Amino acid sequence: MKRMTRYLWRFIATAALLLVAGCATVQPWDRDLLAEKKMSLNPSPMLQAVDEHIYFSKEASMGGMDAGGGGCGCN
Amino acid sequence: MRLQLELGKAPKVSLRDALHGAALALLIIPATAQAQSTPSDRIDVTSLLYGEQGRTEVVEPVVRFTHLLPDGQSVSAQLAFDVITGASPSGALPSGTVQTRTSASGHVITSKAGQIPVAPFHDERVELEGTWHKPLNRLISSDLGFHVSREKDYQSLGVNAKVSTELMRRLLTVTVGGGVSHDTVFPTGGTPAGLSDGTIVKLGSNAKNVTNVLLGASRIVSRQWLVAVNGTETLERGYLTEPYKVISIMSHVNGTPIGELTDKRPSTRNRSAVLLSSVYHLTDDVLYTSYRYYWDTWSIRSHTIDLKYRHDLGDDSYIEPLLRYYQQSAASFYTVGFVEGATLPDFATSDYRLGRLRTITAGATYSFRPDFATGEFTVRGQYMRQFGNGSPSNAIGIQRNFDLSPPVNIVAVVLGYSFDY
Repeated sequence: MKRMTRYLWRFIATAALLLVAGCATVQPWDRDLLAEKKMSLNPSPMLQAVDEHIYFSKEASMGGMDAGGGGCGCN
Repeated sequence: MRLQLELGKAPKVSLRDALHGAALALLIIPATAQAQSTPSDRIDVTSLLYGEQGRTEVVEPVVRFTHLLPDGQSVSAQLAFDVITGASPSGALPSGTVQTRTSASGHVITSKAGQIPVAPFHDERVELEGTWHKPLNRLISSDLGFHVSREKDYQSLGVNAKVSTELMRRLLTVTVGGGVSHDTVFPTGGTPAGLSDGTIVKLGSNAKNVTNVLLGASRIVSRQWLVAVNGTETLERGYLTEPYKVISIMSHVNGTPIGELTDKRPSTRNRSAVLLSSVYHLTDDVLYTSYRYYWDTWSIRSHTIDLKYRHDLGDDSYIEPLLRYYQQSAASFYTVGFVEGATLPDFATSDYRLGRLRTITAGATYSFRPDFATGEFTVRGQYMRQFGNGSPSNAIGIQRNFDLSPPVNIVAVVLGYSFDY
């Protein structure tokens, strides 16, 4: 278990390093598409929150999305 | 260079569009600039209609008010109200005869022979959330939030904070956040002792404290591709047991349920999750993909794959089909039931949500701005089907004849309306 946890956190650290070290450069004048609202990681936060609430109450997992959020006795 | 060549070849891009794109790009944080010039307010209203076949039904209206301030700050408040009715599996095993169960609040429900026994319930929940977003400078922003929620037997009070900073010419955004929540559980009729027959009851409330931290990074990979990795760690301490769930005791002769013990779970749980996300802009459409790996100290492991594909139908409408696959392993103390006379473990549950489980979800979102209204309507419909382990290895006697985790069919519809004013 601890070994698995260590392995996964190493994976995250590696992924984060790759994100930092990636050589791709996108100039500001090439970011027209990225500026669109639909190019957000979470373009519909309220719908996402509803979904997370459903999944949290019907499954044993949580996390990965954000810090905080309302608690409930549904699981 | 390749992208520029592609742009150069594309005959559809007019000079006006190119200038428009360049103007947007030069003001790559348009939200801040826009907020400085035209502050406005926004109201989002959604309503969830949720139904499980033969089990729980939920109606949840939510209203969110967001006020934009001239210097890029915003404050928002959200009020949600849940009404939950129906019945959920009690954890008990089916028998060859009709079973009747009475909830703590006095509701009675009857389960057919061979059917998973369910316990009726009715609850209402009110939740208030607030968020304050504040840019600290051109590259760093912060969010502070709180929540208060209350239901018949559960209360949650929490605060959270998050700081994001943009690095590498705004190609990389790093986010650090955390939250603490102090929850209180006060079961109707008192708190039953764990792994007891339910007659030993403690009056008063039980504390549950939750702390979580978030570390995330998102990266612009190309003109049309954004990726992100998030890691979260959640520590839960206190009363983590489900007070209304039970575990059946099976006759060692034929597997017939002859008694019940209450659920008992460890008082600590560390949950970890890693989420990898990608947003990719195709020619016009957008593909959202994510994968989450989750693990916790109750030995549950899960994989979640989420796909969404947004197709614009015009300037003011889009449709977005979605697919999600989820699978989890069972908690180390999950059991389908005890055989009479067996030594009891320290912890045990028969809650199917802590057993081996798969969920498949399919649905679509349709959003549009009608001529007669200034806002945006959204409709999302989802169908979910959950599959548990219907034939666990420790089922004995007549239990081998029953499907101990019949598939659960769920339909969820969300109606939303958002407008600025």
